[in-house]
Parts: sequence; structure tokens; C-alpha cells
Amino acid sequence: MLDWTIVVPAFLTAAVEWVEAFTIVLAVSLSIGWRAAAGAALTALAALAAMTAATGGVLGLGLEIRWLQLAIGVFLLLFGVRWLAKAVARGAGLKALHDEAREFAEARTALARGDWMASWLIAFKGVLLEGLEVWLVVAAFGLHGRAWASSTAGASAALLIVVAAGLMVRAPLQRVPENAIKFAVGAMITAFGSFWTLEAVGGAAAWPWGDWSLLGLAAFYAVGGLALVVLLRQRSTAGEVR
Amino acid sequence: MSAFLKTLFGDAGTVAVVAIVMAAEVLLVATDQAASAALAVPSLVLAGTAWLAKR
Repeated sequence: MLDWTIVVPAFLTAAVEWVEAFTIVLAVSLSIGWRAAAGAALTALAALAAMTAATGGVLGLGLEIRWLQLAIGVFLLLFGVRWLAKAVARGAGLKALHDEAREFAEARTALARGDWMASWLIAFKGVLLEGLEVWLVVAAFGLHGRAWASSTAGASAALLIVVAAGLMVRAPLQRVPENAIKFAVGAMITAFGSFWTLEAVGGAAAWPWGDWSLLGLAAFYAVGGLALVVLLRQRSTAGEVR
Repeated sequence: MSAFLKTLFGDAGTVAVVAIVMAAEVLLVATDQAASAALAVPSLVLAGTAWLAKR
């Protein structure tokens, strides 16, 4: 039975990363052909699958849950705070929105200078690095209630949908509302990170409402993030006027 | 290798924010202020987010 509270955030996080990875693979495919680019992407995906399986094995060794929570909580904080801050900065107009078309053009320019192997490596590294964040989230959500099937299903479904959509349009997937997804996922992941780190350090009693505190935290970061967007936008506009 | 590390940990600013949050958690729990940590930690995280977004 899938846990949809895990499937949804894993799906959304993975979708954003797979869209970025697809843009790189698409650019590489125009340089060295679909087969080679797909081969590089599949090699990277195999490495990520091996990492996910190995992580599952380590978590199954019976290590004390507190230390796992602390380690994964710290990574979720690092990841969530980064995403939330980036989404806030983009929402407030302090940073340009992520543009898949521009990423695609830049990748094509870089590829024009390289050889076959360099192009293959760009596709491999692109999928591996984007996939690392997916791996982190799959591992983290998998830890929550041992929901490995749910987190893997969310990330895998996102991969299939992005690849299918990409093959249909055969162009960078520009219509994905990346910043909105990044904002929502950033708030959720930061909530999980804060919850787990404090629970690991202070024990289960640290959160007054137990697991329900997670919902409160996600809402706090979402509302606080939106307030920051408004505040920072006003400040940047005031700065421009001055 | 640097791209790998940056993907996992983010930049120095992100690491600093999370380090401060973790230090605050440990300090509050060690001084028997765990109840206030549940309020202080989210506020600190949001303040760190604001700082990172403004940079």
C-alpha cells in the first residue's frame, strides 16, 4: 500500500530534477545521437539505483534510528533551505527564473567545443548530479516509516512522465511551473529536516504535537516563504525607485 | 568532485545556516529549553532562508 504523503513530495522533487536532467540529455543527443545520450543517462540512472539499493541495505542493518534521522535531517535541511531560498529569491525578482530553453542553448554551446566522450560525460554527469538530489529525497522519505516503496514509486513515476512528455514534445520542458514546485517542495523538505533534527537531538517530546507538528512546520515555512517573497519584492522595488 | 559536493551540501552560506540551526538545537536541548526549541528552530530556519534569498 502506497503512502501518498510520501509519494507526492517524492514525485514533485523528482519531477523538477528530471526535467533539468532531460534538458541536458536532449542537448547532448543532438550532438552525439539519441542512443549514446540515452546510454549515458541510463548508466547514471543505474548508478543512482545502486546507491538507492545500498542506502536501503544500510538502513535495514538496524542502525539506531536517531542517528539516521539526524544525518538525513541535516541533509534535508541543507537541501530544503537551499530550494526554499532560491524559490523565494526568484519569486521576489532577485534572481532570474530557471529557463530550460536557456539551459538548453548553453549546453549546446558547451557541447560544440567538446568531443564524443566529453559530450557523453556531460549527459552522464548531468543525470547523476540532478539524480543525487532525487536519491537524497527518496532515501529520506524512505526512512520515514520505512516507506521505501512509496518514495521510490514517486520518483520513478516522475521519471517516466518526464521522459514520456519529453519524447512527445522533443524539446526542453519549459511549461513545468518549476519555481512553484520548488517552493512547495522546499517548504515540505525543510519541515521534515527541522522535525527530524530536533527530534533526534531532543527526543520525541521536543515537538509538542508529535507528528502533527510536521504539518504545522510545512505551513509555517510556506506562509513565511510567501511573506518573504512579498517583503523582498517590495524592498527590491523600493531600491530600484531610489 | 566539487560539483558533487555542491549538489550534496550546497554553498558555504547554506552550510553556515544549517550549522547555526544545529548549534541552536543542541544548545537549547542541553540547557533544558527543548520546549522553546520547537518555536525557535523554525524561526531561525526562516531567518536563514531570508538571508540566503537576499544574497
